[in-house]
Amino acid sequence: MSDRINEKIQNYRTAPFDARFPNTNQTRNCYQNYLDFHRCNKALSAKQQDPAPCEWYRRVYTSLCPMGWVQRWDEQLEEGSFAGRI
Amino acid sequence: MSSLLKVVAKQVKTHPSLIPLFIFIGGGATMSMLYLARLALKNPDVSWDRKNNPEPWNKMEPNQQYKMFAVNMDYSKLKKDRPDF
Repeated sequence: MSDRINEKIQNYRTAPFDARFPNTNQTRNCYQNYLDFHRCNKALSAKQQDPAPCEWYRRVYTSLCPMGWVQRWDEQLEEGSFAGRI
Repeated sequence: MSSLLKVVAKQVKTHPSLIPLFIFIGGGATMSMLYLARLALKNPDVSWDRKNNPEPWNKMEPNQQYKMFAVNMDYSKLKKDRPDF
């Protein structure tokens, strides 16, 4: 499973179609992948596993999200004022 | 409500050619209400109970189709491609 993920991360081109967000408005797609990246890191670190598969989510949200949003959320995370549930 | 029905029945008896009008107007109103009900109950962006169902869009299968008409998208060929955690 992790080999397949590593291979997919190597061959990454852009965010794939996500059936949860089929319409033009991809805001939620961006936010969900950002949340999933941090949740994945938290969950795999808690289980003492290698957080390498979480890289997939980082690549996807980097493709989808405006850079300003990502910077703002990163700052909020550092300050502790991020509103999402991670 | 019953007085409304009596008025409508009187109109229909004296002008039976109005019946298609009632069928079409009634059908249109029913279809709008049905679409609103589908949106309220089936739309994965809607969460009526935020405590027990916080992110309903995450409960969809990777090849589940919500749109009524999906042009150029073969949902049966999709598979899950996100890592688990």
